[in-house]
Amino acid sequence: MNGTGKGATLYKILTKQKALIAILVMLIGMLFSHSNFYSAFNLLQMLSSTSILLILAFGVTLTIIAGGCDLSIGGIMVVAGIVSIKLMNAGMPMGLAIFFAVLFGTVVGFVNGFLAVHQKTEPFIITLGIGLLLTGVAQQLTNAHPVPAQNPNFMMIGNGYFHGVPNLVIIMLVLFALTYWLMRYTEFGRNLYAIGGDYEVARYSGIDVITTKWLAFVISGTMAALAGVLLSSELNTGSAVYGETTALVVNCGVVVGGTSFAGGIGGIPQSALGLLVFGLLSNSMNMLNISSYFQIMLQGAVIVAIIWMDSYAQKRRREAV
Amino acid sequence: MDSGGSEVILSIKDVCKSFPGVKALDKVSIDVKRAMVHGIVGENGAGKSTLMKILSGVYEKDSGTVVFDGQQIEHTTPQQSMQRGLAIIYQELNLVNTMSVGENVLLGRFREMKGMRGTHARARELLDRIGSKIGTTRLVSELSVSEKQMVEIAKALSFESKLIIMDEPSSSLTAEEMGELVKIIRQLKDQGISIIYISHKLDEIFEFCDNVSVMRDGRVIDTKPKSEYTRNELIMQMVGREIENEYPERPQRVGEVLMEVHSINTRKLHDVSFSLRKGEILGFVGLVGAGRTEIVRALFGADKVRGHQVSIEGKPTPIRNPRDAIGAGFGFIPEDRKLQGLVLPFSVESNISMASFRKFTRLGFIRKSVEKEIGTRQVKALSVKTPSTKVPVVNLSGGNQQKCIVGRWLEISPSILIMDEPTKGIDVGAKYEIYMLMKEIAERGGAIILISSELPEVLNMSNRVLTVFEGRITGEFDPKVTSADKIMSAALGFDGACS
Amino acid sequence: MTAQGTNSAIRVGASILRDYLVLVMIAALVALTALIEPKFLSPENLTNIMFQFGPLMMVALGTTFVIIGGFIDLSIAGTINLVAVVTISLIQPMGQVPALLTGLAIGTVCGALNSVLILSSGALTQAEALFMTFGLSTVYSAIALLYSHGSTMHFWDITASKSVFQAIGSGSLGFLSWSFVIFLISLAALWVFQEMTAEGRAVRLTGGNKTAARLAGVRISRSIVVIYAIGGFMAALGAIVLFSRVTTASPVIGVGYETNAILAVVVGGTTLKGGKGSVLRTVMGVLLVVLMSNCLNLLGVSTYLQVVAEGAILTFAIWLDNRKHM
Repeated sequence: MNGTGKGATLYKILTKQKALIAILVMLIGMLFSHSNFYSAFNLLQMLSSTSILLILAFGVTLTIIAGGCDLSIGGIMVVAGIVSIKLMNAGMPMGLAIFFAVLFGTVVGFVNGFLAVHQKTEPFIITLGIGLLLTGVAQQLTNAHPVPAQNPNFMMIGNGYFHGVPNLVIIMLVLFALTYWLMRYTEFGRNLYAIGGDYEVARYSGIDVITTKWLAFVISGTMAALAGVLLSSELNTGSAVYGETTALVVNCGVVVGGTSFAGGIGGIPQSALGLLVFGLLSNSMNMLNISSYFQIMLQGAVIVAIIWMDSYAQKRRREAV
Repeated sequence: MDSGGSEVILSIKDVCKSFPGVKALDKVSIDVKRAMVHGIVGENGAGKSTLMKILSGVYEKDSGTVVFDGQQIEHTTPQQSMQRGLAIIYQELNLVNTMSVGENVLLGRFREMKGMRGTHARARELLDRIGSKIGTTRLVSELSVSEKQMVEIAKALSFESKLIIMDEPSSSLTAEEMGELVKIIRQLKDQGISIIYISHKLDEIFEFCDNVSVMRDGRVIDTKPKSEYTRNELIMQMVGREIENEYPERPQRVGEVLMEVHSINTRKLHDVSFSLRKGEILGFVGLVGAGRTEIVRALFGADKVRGHQVSIEGKPTPIRNPRDAIGAGFGFIPEDRKLQGLVLPFSVESNISMASFRKFTRLGFIRKSVEKEIGTRQVKALSVKTPSTKVPVVNLSGGNQQKCIVGRWLEISPSILIMDEPTKGIDVGAKYEIYMLMKEIAERGGAIILISSELPEVLNMSNRVLTVFEGRITGEFDPKVTSADKIMSAALGFDGACS
Repeated sequence: MTAQGTNSAIRVGASILRDYLVLVMIAALVALTALIEPKFLSPENLTNIMFQFGPLMMVALGTTFVIIGGFIDLSIAGTINLVAVVTISLIQPMGQVPALLTGLAIGTVCGALNSVLILSSGALTQAEALFMTFGLSTVYSAIALLYSHGSTMHFWDITASKSVFQAIGSGSLGFLSWSFVIFLISLAALWVFQEMTAEGRAVRLTGGNKTAARLAGVRISRSIVVIYAIGGFMAALGAIVLFSRVTTASPVIGVGYETNAILAVVVGGTTLKGGKGSVLRTVMGVLLVVLMSNCLNLLGVSTYLQVVAEGAILTFAIWLDNRKHM
């Protein structure tokens, strides 16, 4: 393979599309497995169960593109889900309960933005702290026992089908379209790219960097809360189980898709691909009857590998400059 | 003061600006006329960039008036400045590398341009106006420096600028690209736009500037139409001052060859080889980005560079990292003392002792008394102004901070001391002290590699000067004998050394 | 003149308050609890407090160096899990002391592995370290689960004899518990390392300014390995003290220790930015965390609200730390 020409371009494509490659590898691999992987049921099921993670990823992508990250999404997710169920169980109409649950996420996002953007605290650690706090809140609210929902209609949201397609998938696709439009076709989204690409240049160009970046956190929090409501609906309970791991897995998934922690590059479709890698990984492992312990280990190893590669690539970029 | 008749677009009167310990601008007054190219020349530290930053709103002036297009300007921001029609293209380009050309030209105005299509259409329009064929969807990171400058000019035009300030625009351009830039400048002038052109390159100044102001030490020496200047007069005004008492005598006893380096090759550097003699001060002259710092960093092992050979006193000495270099007798005073040289929250003595672990530790344990001795010794030897050696080094003034770094290296008596911009941001008194130090080191048999963007400093301190242009060594001169102008030419790539 | 004087007096007062905020908070909390709940000052409670010191203290002391060096370590939970289950399983085949030493060795290796990953990828920021160490934690925890088949091993199933571990767990040397003695020895050793050794200084310099340190010839790669190795070693020590005390080793025994350790270090006043801090400050931080949980328990506050309180204090401490060093 020579230094320029076809060999080098192939290498370039390979490194840029690592998520796509990973997915293709797994899809091909599963062809050889004697399992029900390629049944319509399983594929839809996989998409449906990854939908929640995808919704989380859409929100987080905004913060990562802007040069930060949001590790509180797990905590927001569980608390929002619990809040919605508790409010409904206390008699509040479903719509209103959901509204307040999502509002909760917006408020937390606002606080995150304040600390990370206005106060200039390191986003990764401050959102980690908030996430920890919220996990405790979730445990407190549920007393570590899942809280079952009493409103029968609630379950339909997360488990229903609309013309054969799971509701979750439809909602996820709608949010996909919305955030995609936001990042690609609005000034807000383009400014986020600028802020992540070079904060000072963006500032000098007159962009209100603080408000814009702050908003990214608000949106991330809101979507995390939405995901939480949907999760509770799917499980029909409010549980404090998912938490720190989710946040780290989702943030890493976004990076795998091609959005770097350095900021300024990536996008919603890329994040979707990245999360699908994790979704596919987990589903295939289940299909192959790999023990859950191995699955955890593999997930951890994948996270390490992804960040390692991202750092290594950044190192090369730094040296090139 | 200048050719009469046309209207003045920018009037600067008695502007002063001081930073702690340094008076950057001292009653600067300049008038720039409409549709004229106004050149500003001066060396580093003359105050040009400070003045530009005040105009563009990055800094606040201490006193004086600025009137732009009839309006008095006070407390402005970069954005306001641009909207008023005053655009500035910095030497360090102000673009977002990860975004496209089109989006950079209209950064922050997506809605105004009605989306992506509108943005690219307008960017295309602006680029066409200056005759540039760069595709608007290309990523800025892929562009060459001259292409990036075009993008910046297009950006300036997008605000219907009346005055565009270009700060050393040609520092990284080839002759051909320079020709393009000149065409554009003439086009802009025909469109009624004024240009302030800041540059070292006298040929350019004489080629297309209408009026020229010379700045030196924070003052405007004179402003005249170019036709009334001769080249020599310009240089003299730029450089001329009481040179006699500003620099000590050069080291007298230059001995045999101490170190040789062969074939440094990196992305930026091409086949760099040179030698260094005992007792000499070797100066590197070149523009920003020419590769001077890269050369010394490769030598010191600070960057991962392979394939070159270093020999000291005839013996091949592999240097792969700073530790190897220090072991071989090198010392390195980096360009940015705050980011690369000091550990700011640490004490003066800790910063000084940093390279002397072997001296103040025994069997892995620190001997605090020895460390204190080291600190006190160097503070005394270098007259560092500090209440004690235990105060955090961040409390000291720039000059004293620099002395601490010098002290750090003196403590281990390096045979080769690399000094990259050693007197940047330091007051005149401290500068002289550092010059005396350099002379002392050389006279004791050591050797110094000096990088400085202040031409007089390099020329007056060095026994020998190497010029660097685009990663290559383009000439070797004796500054006692060769004129500053000739040396500068070599540093700018002329004299047929390379095109 | 007097206006200026009062102004600067306030500023000095505020900075003292900021620096010793932890002490003030401890004092306030202790005073409050002692007033409301007199049981607080009873000998049983005080002994209880002393016993709670052990595991968290070991882990937090180890974490201190990682943070002083400018990094972060979330792999501690996994390390503790792994060391606990492996050590306890080795007691029979190997004997007590060899098992203990093996456990410590495993912890050290687990910790050092973090540094290998960090150095090989060229990662220099805390954010990258956070993700990589977290990933490793998951891997270690999974290995622990696999190794133990998800089951919890009981110490008394393994050996009924008087043992080293029993001593560590509940024995005493005079009026001090053995674990307290271990704590004192560790603290002394680590303090000496921090203040008086060349490597301790190198670690500080690395955290203070990696670039400057490297250019001055400091071996920052070695420092990075050292800080994570110490972190792993102390985590292993903490694991041993922990399972000696509760006499069971479950593969999830280490959950939450990493965040509590970071909380203790930050709250104690060691800055996340690196270069500054001390193990002594961490001792104060652990004291606060332990006292806080003790007081809240006595006051009848649920465990979950305590987690909330910890999260809130961590967030507050980080915010405060950031403002101090802006």
